[in-house]
Amino acid sequence: MEKLNFEKKLKEMGKPEITQLKHEDLLSDSIINARDKSVVSWWWLSVPIFIILMLLMKSTFMPGTNLFSEMHELKSNQKLISIIFFLISPVILIVINTLTIRKIHFLSGSPKSFTFIGVVWFNLLTIVVSAFILIIYSF
Amino acid sequence: MKFPWFKRIGIFFIPATIAGWLILISAIAFAVYSFIDIDSRSHSASDTLMNFAFMCLIIGAVYSLIAYVTSRVNPPTP
Repeated sequence: MEKLNFEKKLKEMGKPEITQLKHEDLLSDSIINARDKSVVSWWWLSVPIFIILMLLMKSTFMPGTNLFSEMHELKSNQKLISIIFFLISPVILIVINTLTIRKIHFLSGSPKSFTFIGVVWFNLLTIVVSAFILIIYSF
Repeated sequence: MKFPWFKRIGIFFIPATIAGWLILISAIAFAVYSFIDIDSRSHSASDTLMNFAFMCLIIGAVYSLIAYVTSRVNPPTP
């Protein structure tokens, strides 16, 4: 009798099912983290963008000046601010966002589709704008 | 220490605990102090506003960095 009950129990038992994979958790966490990182990145990028816009406005209204001459003046007058916001922070943001994209690419199984770009487009935009700021600073 | 102190809504980090609110209040107090300081040294309203906007962006950048670091959930203990 006991043996029959045990066999019945065995038949009723199914395979253990994992409804959610650990890998899926990791991927969703890294996507949310990437969004958070890109928001912080844009706060840090807003400072050099603001300075560039102000210099553009100044060069528009002052004859004989342009953005690059104003940039040279800023570099010589405000060394610390220009190094922090035009050199150090864009480099750090490029490295952080590249590593984040690489991690998501790895966790999502190295896809070669536009869906992946749709997920990380904000981080890609951050890298492009950071590179643009570095180019302006290097002139 | 209980994390997260902040939760992100759009581009803003909203405080979720008392520590988070203290950081936000400190940031606002510093912004007000900066405004008074800039206003006492500037020559026109546009001069004040341009310098204050720059200061606000710096305060926002530092605040968002602090909020990002403290908005991470505690790692699971083994």
